[in-house]
Amino acid sequence: MAEITVTINGRQVSAKEGMTILEAALENGIDIPTLCHHQDLTPLGACRICVVEVEGSRTLVGSCHTPITEGMVIHTHSDKVLATRRMIVELLLASHCGSCFMCDKANICELRKIAADLEVGLPRFQMRKNYYPLEDISPYVVRDLTKCIMCRRCARACSEVAGHNVFAIAYRGFDSKVVVDFDQPIDKEVCRDCGVCISFCPTGALGKPREAKEEKRGKPLIITS
Amino acid sequence: MTAEPDVARELAEILSHYSGAKSELIPILQDVQEKLGYLPEEVMQRVAKFLRLTDNTVYGVSTFYAQFSFTPTGRNKVTVCRGTACHVRGGARILAEIERRLGIKEGETTDDLEYTLETTACFGSCALAPVVVINKNVYGRVTTAKLAEILTMAE
Repeated sequence: MAEITVTINGRQVSAKEGMTILEAALENGIDIPTLCHHQDLTPLGACRICVVEVEGSRTLVGSCHTPITEGMVIHTHSDKVLATRRMIVELLLASHCGSCFMCDKANICELRKIAADLEVGLPRFQMRKNYYPLEDISPYVVRDLTKCIMCRRCARACSEVAGHNVFAIAYRGFDSKVVVDFDQPIDKEVCRDCGVCISFCPTGALGKPREAKEEKRGKPLIITS
Repeated sequence: MTAEPDVARELAEILSHYSGAKSELIPILQDVQEKLGYLPEEVMQRVAKFLRLTDNTVYGVSTFYAQFSFTPTGRNKVTVCRGTACHVRGGARILAEIERRLGIKEGETTDDLEYTLETTACFGSCALAPVVVINKNVYGRVTTAKLAEILTMAE
């Protein structure tokens, strides 16, 4: 593949044709935060956390899915980009349930980490959230759609990595959510114990069920990352 | 729930016009909606099998579009416009009156499957406000007094 030269943050760097902006930036040691993106899944550009400024482009572009082209002038951390990223995180948090101290996955939560990295402060927006019942009937996976931020990683992981198609996106707008079958709670009939989606979920929406033994023994819950 | 034989026959008739390409999903669902008035779960499963898609993909697509219904709809579809112009000219009163006459709320169907009541954000005939649409017939400048006549005309 042909080598091309681009400018990222004022520095001339080389990249290969067919790369995305994100890949080129990572290769040159520039860190762009991502949320819905995962190296093992097809790029989607759903969360918009990874937006960067490309000179000559009318809008900010999602770096995880935009192919890099010769002569691009890219700013990954300009004021405009950072302000936009913070706004996106704030909006994501406004549609997230917000109870991190109650969440088992709080210490490995990517949304929380990004919010901390971007120094997103106290919420400016009123929370607007659909609350869903916790789905804990499956022995393999516990699903709490209240914490879901619709990154679609679970759906892609299930079809692309695990080779099943347990999840799909249904409904529209604020009502949209990840559904199993005809919008049923996830149970062991539809989902086996592969657990692939759990590790792909950036929030606490998908988790492993707590082991009953531990709770009986009264062992304190220790969150390991 | 088992599909009644005529549902299965209708579906087979609809599917006979299609080749089984994924892109035919929405036209098939539209045909089913037209024929049966709604999309039963079993029909969605069969459509999924026919197109070699997963059940939840079909469900996801069909829940996205407002044109598909999952409960049986009435023979007559009554749509009341809720746009700004219709609202200003008394659309809310029209809707309340229809709800009272039919004994159902918006989005519901009468028990005898005669009427389904829906609302729309704007029908686009603001000059005729307030507008009520019954089975593709548009009734403009509706008043609560005229409603009795309009509703019987639909039958």
